[in-house]
Amino acid sequence: MQILSEQAVSHPKRYLWGAGLMSAVLLILVTLPSLWPSQFPLLNPLQIDTDPENMLEADEPVRVLHNAMRKEFSLYDIVVVGVVNNSNPQGVFNVQSLNNVYRLAEYASTLRWEQGDSSEGVVAVDMIAPSTVDNIEQDGLGAVRFEWLMSEPPQTEAEALAIAEKAQRLPFLDDTLISRDRRAVALYIPITSKSISYRVASALQEKTAEFAGDDEFYVTGLPVAQDQFGVEMFVQMAVSAPLAMLLIFALMWLFFRNIVLVVSPMVVALISVIATMGLLIVTGNTVHIMSSMIPIFIMPIAVLDAVHILSDFFDRYPKNRDRLQTVREVMDELSRPMLFTSLTTSVGFASLALTPIPPVQVFGLFVGLGVLIAWLLTVTLIPAYIMLMPEASLAGFGLNESASGGAPRQTLLTRLLHRTGRFTWQHSKLIVGVSLLLCVGAWYGITQIRINDNPVKWFSETHEIRIADRALNERFGGTYMAYLALQPGSSELDYSRYSADLQARLVQLEPKIGGAVAALLTEKAAQAADKPALIELTRDAISEIQDQPISDEEWDAWENVALGLDQELLSDQVFKRPDVLAYIERLQQHLLDTGLVGKSNALPDIVKTVHRELLLGADEEYRIPDSAAAVAQTLITYESSHRPQDLWHFVTPDFRKTNLWIQLKSGDNIDMNAVVTSVDRYLAANPAPVELEHDWFGLTYINVIWQQKMVSGMLSAFLGSFVIVLALMVLLFRSLWWGLLSMVPLTMTIGVTYGIIGIIGKDYDMPVAVLSSLSLGLAVDYAIHFLARSRELRSRFDSWKDTLGAVFEEPARAISRNIVVIGCGFLPLLAAPLVPYKTVGVFISTILILAGAATLLILPALITLFQNRLFKQSEGVER
Amino acid sequence: MKKVLLMFGLVFWLPLQAMAIDVAEIVARANHAAYYQGQDGKARVQMTIVDAQGRERAREFIILRRNDDGATDAGQKIYVYFNRPADVNQTAFLVWKKLQGEDDRWLYLPALDLVKRIAASDERTSFVGSHFFYEDVSGRVPEEDSHRLVEETDNYYVVESTPKEPGLVEFASYKNWIHKQSFIPVRTEFYDAGGQAYRTYEAQQVESINGYQTVTRSRMSDARIGGETTMGYSEVEYDLGLSDDLFTERYLRNPPRRYLR
Repeated sequence: MQILSEQAVSHPKRYLWGAGLMSAVLLILVTLPSLWPSQFPLLNPLQIDTDPENMLEADEPVRVLHNAMRKEFSLYDIVVVGVVNNSNPQGVFNVQSLNNVYRLAEYASTLRWEQGDSSEGVVAVDMIAPSTVDNIEQDGLGAVRFEWLMSEPPQTEAEALAIAEKAQRLPFLDDTLISRDRRAVALYIPITSKSISYRVASALQEKTAEFAGDDEFYVTGLPVAQDQFGVEMFVQMAVSAPLAMLLIFALMWLFFRNIVLVVSPMVVALISVIATMGLLIVTGNTVHIMSSMIPIFIMPIAVLDAVHILSDFFDRYPKNRDRLQTVREVMDELSRPMLFTSLTTSVGFASLALTPIPPVQVFGLFVGLGVLIAWLLTVTLIPAYIMLMPEASLAGFGLNESASGGAPRQTLLTRLLHRTGRFTWQHSKLIVGVSLLLCVGAWYGITQIRINDNPVKWFSETHEIRIADRALNERFGGTYMAYLALQPGSSELDYSRYSADLQARLVQLEPKIGGAVAALLTEKAAQAADKPALIELTRDAISEIQDQPISDEEWDAWENVALGLDQELLSDQVFKRPDVLAYIERLQQHLLDTGLVGKSNALPDIVKTVHRELLLGADEEYRIPDSAAAVAQTLITYESSHRPQDLWHFVTPDFRKTNLWIQLKSGDNIDMNAVVTSVDRYLAANPAPVELEHDWFGLTYINVIWQQKMVSGMLSAFLGSFVIVLALMVLLFRSLWWGLLSMVPLTMTIGVTYGIIGIIGKDYDMPVAVLSSLSLGLAVDYAIHFLARSRELRSRFDSWKDTLGAVFEEPARAISRNIVVIGCGFLPLLAAPLVPYKTVGVFISTILILAGAATLLILPALITLFQNRLFKQSEGVER
Repeated sequence: MKKVLLMFGLVFWLPLQAMAIDVAEIVARANHAAYYQGQDGKARVQMTIVDAQGRERAREFIILRRNDDGATDAGQKIYVYFNRPADVNQTAFLVWKKLQGEDDRWLYLPALDLVKRIAASDERTSFVGSHFFYEDVSGRVPEEDSHRLVEETDNYYVVESTPKEPGLVEFASYKNWIHKQSFIPVRTEFYDAGGQAYRTYEAQQVESINGYQTVTRSRMSDARIGGETTMGYSEVEYDLGLSDDLFTERYLRNPPRRYLR
């Protein structure tokens, strides 16, 4: 590896120009198609992806099912507008507020734009708002009335109140459109595509700003949250990454006090980031929440090796006063550990490719790549840069003020490290003992870990999305939608037996023409190959018979047979059966009983409501009627309303598949999961009248699935990279014991960190899951440097005790500087507006600082305890 | 204009002095051709509802109609009796159409053994889940709109109609293509406030039955919900001499079998 550095030192300008040129080319390749996509169709533009669905592969079964079901039940992504009035005694049901609501709905229905060949925008016919839904109620004596719930804005307060009365009598709307306390209404605005949610939400927000009165408006819903997320992702990239750069720069200047020199790692970091992000975009990958964090990961890692070089150079230069000589010495000593630290870091990140989550894979692979790029740039550009610096700017540089190599100046850091070194020698058993205790505590903590996530909670507590989320979930049945689809299990039909049974049934229906019926069926059964064909052929034949001049009596008999035949098809329509509907009704009750579901809407609710209104609106008639025909006739009544198509959100026209809308109060995966488990148990313990298969879909459910994949994927990624890193360590040290030893600090660190997460009750969510692999790759760096230098120094001293003193000189200082630079380098993530970034910032910093501490305490203590075994084994140490 | 049940048409045998005809007369004749031909009429209707996803549902019913008054196109009574699917067999629907005020409507649901009066604030609700509105079946009263002859081609008068009370309807305007000879509206397009046509009626087949030009196949499509409904008419008969008392609540429960065969 030194060859690279030698080359760079010989042709420093060539290397610096080369790196600059590469960045320029990548920048151009990204900028051109992003700004002028039509002129550069072959290049990939910058694409942002904030869709949580993309946490799973597009062909993942749950997503395929989700999309198929959404199509089947005509369900769209929905923008929710909550209108809340806390000051009016009638809540939102006053003239002014309802006028606003009316105008808002009218306005929303006009939001449509031409996009290419198709028009995108609000699906006005499916909008749920007081002015767009039907009211069904009693009208005078014995009449049932269909009308728009609010065909025009109310003129008087009494009219406004009447609208609330009506809406609350409809189970469908109560707690969905109107809150129980009448303080709020919610408008559900379906949109053709998620990509226009921002446009729709902005238009709605502008509109509500025009309204008079004291209503509060909350525009929310998952698509809006996603768009918001994309915006804040850029804030993060635009704020946190430069902030990290600035902070690292300041810290390095503090250590090295030479601006010109300190610029070099920043150049390395910048070019690494440009190269990595450039390659990511040029290769057509999207910038997702994960990949948007790449710059802030590359930046500290990229300066890490540079800090080692500079630190070493800083310490040695005063002795040599010859930069070429010093660079050679430094690279000679550091190139091997730097290669290995970069490899291990790279492996740690690249292991994320083992997770089944595409954005995490992309993140891992590209950070892994970026680390290698940073390594390459570090070993070439830093030496090249040093060679190009004017000699004068190095004057007065270095640890020692005097070039003569007198006693080093006693800085705070130096003194502290000396003491630490002595402490590890004197109290090695204590350190190891405390560490073991910590391990026990960590184990307990890990067993307490709660796996949970909720994309809405990716926004901080005070974010408008979270405020809207709370405001609406307090008042309504819940804004987190999950869907449960039910359908009868497929059963093989024995056709020959069926046709015989059918014949018998039809003959029995009209024994007077039994002979003719039997003959007809026998003939048609031979012609047809399956049940639908048999029924169709027979039906057509009967129709022909009925067209003949036959007697009324005979005609009626054939009509009866034809009806019986039609009934055969209807018997497949299981979701018209009262017993099946009653079963769904009980299942809905069970859902409510979990306490996690605020409300569910399903086919039985429609049937019961219409039935009640057909029967004088009596409360006791809010029930499922007694026969399938009665259900069918109730539904045909419903279909004579303004919005018959609403029925098909709940059942398919063949009545073979039904869909329960489930409103959860919380979008936490743990809650969704509890509902799923509870339903599984219920279905198993309470068999349905017909065998039913069930499928969950909806974004709330998809989140659960990707989380499950994430947890198991992360475990395998972690174990995989652990093994690879261990193997690399054994290879590096040519010793199993030293290899194992190098894994101790990071194992401790990760254990303790996750233990803390378990004990403080922080949910194990996406960012936390990603942390394990990240920290594995990063934290082992300290151990590598510490152990490599320890072994190298041990050969120069008589005993470990003496060696220890030297180890806690320059090597420990380099590590400490790194801990501070890198540990603090991630802290600017705290300035990001989104919670996952903050989580990563806090925990990465914690892990790095803990790992650094563990390296400087536990490793020397363990070496002290096991020095005989370790050093006896490694006679003739590598340098 | 809506013309669904348009069986029934007089062949208007008029000299082609079309230039002189005024829009009120065109509309009146079209209304007559679409809804009032003969003193009464009967048809068996095969309705096929196809939704946006191409899923089909079929309904079959008999429709009986009687004009209250032979001389003017005024009140009418309409009786709809469902045959299929079997689970709505014997379900019946009765309308007393009035030019002024809300129509009277009754529904008989045999499985609930229930006769129910149905009230609706407007007539633009779905006709039994199809793409046709109730008003397309019973006929929109011409006086509810202002009409304008916007174009005259070799075969058609194109009349644009705008509602006098826009709050009661979902459309901003509609246009009818009225056949010059028969006065049958063969195409109707409904426009939204943006001028976009979203709902289209077409008479797909016209036959002469008992001397009346009769639409025997029609289609309504609706771009907002997608899909379309077609109605095919068979066994069309006119002037059967249907008596007025057939169109009463009593016959909802006891259907007049001889007209339903």
